[in-house]
Amino acid sequence: MTNVAIEMRDVVKVYRKGRIDIPVLDGLDLEIEAGTFVALMGPSGSGKSTLLHLIGGLDSPTSGSVRVHDTQLEDLNERQLTAWRSRHVGFVFQMFHLVPVLTAAQNVELPLLLFKMSARERRERVATALNVVGLGDRTDHRPNQLSGGQEQRVAIARAIVTDPDVILADEPTGDLDARTSEEILSLLNLLNSDFGKTILMVTHDPRAAVHARRRLHLDKGVLERDEAHAPAAVATAR
Amino acid sequence: MTTRYVLWQNLLRNPLRTILTAVAFALPMAIFVAAISLVSALIEMGKANERQLRLAVHHKTTIVNLLPEAVRRRVEGLDPQHQRLTAVCGMRWFGGKVPDTQNTLTSLAADPDTFPLVYSDADMTPDETAAWNRDRRACVLGFAIAERYRWKSGDRIVLVSTVPPYLQLEFYVAKVMTAKTQANYFYFRRDYLTESLKEALPGLADAASRCNIFWIKCNSAADLHSLQGEIDALFANTPDETKSEDENAFGANFTQAAGDIPGLMRAMAMVVVFVIALVAGNTMMMSFRERTRELAVFKAIGFQSRRVFFIVLAESLLLALLGSLLGVVPVSALLWFFPVRGLGFGPISALEISPFAVIGSLAMAMMIGLAAGLWPAYQAVRLRTVDALRRVA
Repeated sequence: MTNVAIEMRDVVKVYRKGRIDIPVLDGLDLEIEAGTFVALMGPSGSGKSTLLHLIGGLDSPTSGSVRVHDTQLEDLNERQLTAWRSRHVGFVFQMFHLVPVLTAAQNVELPLLLFKMSARERRERVATALNVVGLGDRTDHRPNQLSGGQEQRVAIARAIVTDPDVILADEPTGDLDARTSEEILSLLNLLNSDFGKTILMVTHDPRAAVHARRRLHLDKGVLERDEAHAPAAVATAR
Repeated sequence: MTTRYVLWQNLLRNPLRTILTAVAFALPMAIFVAAISLVSALIEMGKANERQLRLAVHHKTTIVNLLPEAVRRRVEGLDPQHQRLTAVCGMRWFGGKVPDTQNTLTSLAADPDTFPLVYSDADMTPDETAAWNRDRRACVLGFAIAERYRWKSGDRIVLVSTVPPYLQLEFYVAKVMTAKTQANYFYFRRDYLTESLKEALPGLADAASRCNIFWIKCNSAADLHSLQGEIDALFANTPDETKSEDENAFGANFTQAAGDIPGLMRAMAMVVVFVIALVAGNTMMMSFRERTRELAVFKAIGFQSRRVFFIVLAESLLLALLGSLLGVVPVSALLWFFPVRGLGFGPISALEISPFAVIGSLAMAMMIGLAAGLWPAYQAVRLRTVDALRRVA
């Protein structure tokens, strides 16, 4: 089995607005090893989120190929992609996107509705995920009863509850203050170091990027720089 | 947690809006179920009337114009062997009311010898028929009238006519009819009325014995149709030209005198349905728009489009079901246990809940829910996760 978690070959993505073609990614090649924490940086409109969406199977490239572990995404249809996503990818969004009428535990349980498993197993998985993010005592709280940082932790628990291979985080600290951002980044570090998750994080913030082992700089759809670093010291996530 | 739980929680997301929409469903659906119950009752009444095989013969110009007593003999002469008709019963409008009250009863003086035959749905026992034949003041009245005035068999009662010469007559209750078709009718012997009119108007002896209508009990539907043509032909080009019609057509003259009430009710019901559909559709679209990003996240984490479609549509159906139950159940229960008596809506005496109306209303609500939810559900399927996330991120 290959050690490469994500492989992109000559990926081109062009959006069409009316009669105008807007190129976003221009022949991008990328390999990310399994178990790596990668920060994806670049100015607005550089194609960061598009790249994330392509890897997550939310969008398809105009040309080129995307492989995540052993799955060649362009071979899958919409339905297969959705099913694949539910098992292999966890998403973390800037705005958390929790369901406001569900409790923290129920929000985390949401992706498990797609799996055939006993109620007991489901409860155990939810409890484990919430314990990992340090919210084992907030299971019955609704999003409006949680702080921003806690909401993002719940969103991370939702992303990891299905035990995905890859976690895709789109500006996960973009809506948080500096201290809370550090906590979230430490948590992502923990998921990478202790649980071996491959994490690709889009960020504008250089302070956030220092937590990653590898930093990719994207500009105008082209990979401008690819830097490897020792990650910053991991603070406690809880 | 199940998808159903998520659905339910979605409804509780904005409780005030859910309650208002449910009430917007409930009130019209309550009216709808009552209106359809009335229309159902009219339809049932029509079927019951059809089974009675009665033909109404009245003056061609208007029912107010009186026909001579001889009409009965001439009609009977069309079928002396009684192969097509059972009996002919002349009737005259009395328009009586209980003294010092306002409501005029549908009170008619009927030929005593043929009334029990023509009105077999009065279901008179031999003893009751004997009492009817024996006592000139005997009357037979429907259960709705009996309930309203607390009359029972054997009572002596008094009615005052609302038409000249405003006779005040005393009656003996020989029978309380239990048939729904006769619930609001009051019959008494025509010989009693004729004699009373002759006493009150000695100079108008001939007019006293005239009738507003002759009811002919036929042996079959085919006989009814053949006699209908023959009778009108018999009196054609005479001073007493007739118009013959079956009981439903005759009844429609009265119920439709104030407009096509069943038609109006149907139109009203359709307007109600349309308005609710708009309300529900608007609510569902608002709910969908509010949750665009949430639905996008559902898709991102692996919910298939089909499942998202179901979630949005099921929410609309659930809201429609809740709202309609809120309206239909209390009204149905109320009318089931306490049917409205003494309605006097054409031939309908009581507003009773019709199972057809309940099932029809709930089915209608489901159809509205379906119609209201289809577009948002389709939009949810079409929703591009990337676009929705980008729009809000």
